[in-house]
Amino acid sequence: MSLQRRIDWGIYAVFIVLLMVAPLVMDPFWLNRVAKYLVYGMLGIAVALSWGYAGVLNLGQGLFFGAGAYMVAMSLKLASPTSLQQGSDRPVPDFMLWNAEPGAPTELCCINKGSFLWLPFQNQWFGVAMALIMPMAIAGIIGTIVFRKRIAGVFVSIITLALVLLVRLVVIDAQPVTNGFNGLTDLGWFKIAGFEFDPYVVPTYYLVAVSLSIVLVGARLLVETRAGIILQAVRDDENRARYLGFDVPNYQTFFLVVSAAIAGFAGMLYVIVSEFASPTFMDLSFSITMVVWAAVGGRASILGACIGAILINTISATVSETEGFAEAWKAIIGLIFVLVVLYLPRGLGGLAHDLVARVAARFSPAAARELRAANTSQLAE
Amino acid sequence: MLEVLFIGLSLGSILLLVALGLAITYGAMGVINMAHGEMVMIGAYVTVLSGIWLGANIFVAIPLAFIVTALLGLLIERVVVRKLYGRLLDTLLATWGVAILIQQAVRLEFGLSFLGIHIQGLGPGLQNVSVPAMLQGTFAIGSQDINRYRTFIILVTALLALATWFIVYRTSIGTQVRAIIRNPKMAAACGIDVTRINALTFAFGSGLAGVAGVMMSGFKTVFPDMGTSMVVDGFLVVVMGGVGSLLGSVLSAGILGEINGFVAAATNDILARAVVFGVVILIIVLKPKGLFALKGR
Repeated sequence: MSLQRRIDWGIYAVFIVLLMVAPLVMDPFWLNRVAKYLVYGMLGIAVALSWGYAGVLNLGQGLFFGAGAYMVAMSLKLASPTSLQQGSDRPVPDFMLWNAEPGAPTELCCINKGSFLWLPFQNQWFGVAMALIMPMAIAGIIGTIVFRKRIAGVFVSIITLALVLLVRLVVIDAQPVTNGFNGLTDLGWFKIAGFEFDPYVVPTYYLVAVSLSIVLVGARLLVETRAGIILQAVRDDENRARYLGFDVPNYQTFFLVVSAAIAGFAGMLYVIVSEFASPTFMDLSFSITMVVWAAVGGRASILGACIGAILINTISATVSETEGFAEAWKAIIGLIFVLVVLYLPRGLGGLAHDLVARVAARFSPAAARELRAANTSQLAE
Repeated sequence: MLEVLFIGLSLGSILLLVALGLAITYGAMGVINMAHGEMVMIGAYVTVLSGIWLGANIFVAIPLAFIVTALLGLLIERVVVRKLYGRLLDTLLATWGVAILIQQAVRLEFGLSFLGIHIQGLGPGLQNVSVPAMLQGTFAIGSQDINRYRTFIILVTALLALATWFIVYRTSIGTQVRAIIRNPKMAAACGIDVTRINALTFAFGSGLAGVAGVMMSGFKTVFPDMGTSMVVDGFLVVVMGGVGSLLGSVLSAGILGEINGFVAAATNDILARAVVFGVVILIIVLKPKGLFALKGR
């Protein structure tokens, strides 16, 4: 194991230990907040995978997040007490009843034209499965079409951007099925084997924290596999990788699907923690904001992107509680972002790498040389 | 039928109004300027402010907004964009930061709201602009009632498009701009001052956005976030038309406007926008270079 890798895994271990001990020092209210930011950290990982490692700037990450969120929210909506008070012994979402035509049967099958789509979601695990399958399927289709046609760079960004906005409009327009602008609210709690995950208890925090740790380590191991290394080769020189005989679109699609699955999983956890799903998940600004987090944390570093997301959100939550400072904080975020892109393209992760290398140089010149070599090869871009 | 066609034309001209500036900055300079929508917003606020403080109407606001936004564009080019030429996606991200800054500057009244000073016409609230009487209401052509303000927008857009075409294809600066589109290094080798031309191009593109903002303010509510959705529409028009092709942008704006108009007449506005996005995705997938791609390198 090279020195670089040992240091990296050491930092990962410290980060995960910090996640695990956080409940010791925080009250339930803050724990719930931090759980949300950990979900954002997971989104940072998804962005770093597709942008930093695959070189595909997906501006439609919100589509995968939203898909995951809505799928689980549908199940949890049916599990909510508000869905059981409609005069039927089986659950019917309250908003469907409010908007039902006079005389429509109070049954999920036929209260309106699209409501039958909700039927399988009565089983919570169907919703959970769909929260992963749906984003992966969408990503698979996008990837197959886009990468087979060798569409690259900014055009992928524009296609994914247009797609997320398109889906957002369709979700808003399909009001009878999705509750339109209002989204799905008043959700029930997620259950595993009879245990209810109340968003404001410690086990729910651990559900998110452990999930994040697994995704983090999994993503890191994945980029170290042969496929991950080929992917980075594709990012650095697509044509050369093609001439060497690699099936480039396959690798790109695979990683897009993985990144979509992570984003969908994040969407699912977010719904469990925050108890709502809304079309704002698919807003333009949310998708770009995710990229901002990853850029500040370090686009080419999985842990960096994750920490970037958590850091920015925690700071903004603290700062924006001061009256009148919330708006100014937004301006500061804008400024930070411009500065990072201009002067720190590798983000905080890159900065940390340099610092480690400099400290190592103090103690052993040989180790420093090794680190510097590793840095330049890793961040050739 | 004719009425829907006219509405489509007016929607298309609004799209083109925003897209013209982008066609120039993105097409010529390879800069994805996410702050373009904020330039539109600034243009709209210039109209609001000149109405309140100078008592000026929309006609006076047009040149004023052009100057203000062009100067702002020049500043952004100097400070941010200039350092990022050749890094297309980074320009997108950095200008997104600039966009947030501009929005917050308007919302916080340039920071004065912290000191308790408030400027009438700025701040987080909604503003509106009253249109001069001669642009209100409708006039009749044959049996058809035509909305005056929509006609005014179409005329202004046509004039701006013509002016842009004239500058790009009939002046010496335009020749230099086109040379830079084809190959910036070669252009520099031939003695073109690429830095200066790029700065001017960016300022001109921003100025066009400012004028678009003045036109928007006549029929839309003016507020700090108004530009965000416009910039996406503008990009879709430019990409669909083909990067670097002015004609392509004009035609794709027309096509998308008509599609929007017809679908909206048949169903509703939300679905119409969704269909427009769908059409653009389809065209980019089928012809990634756009409908009228420039054969350059």
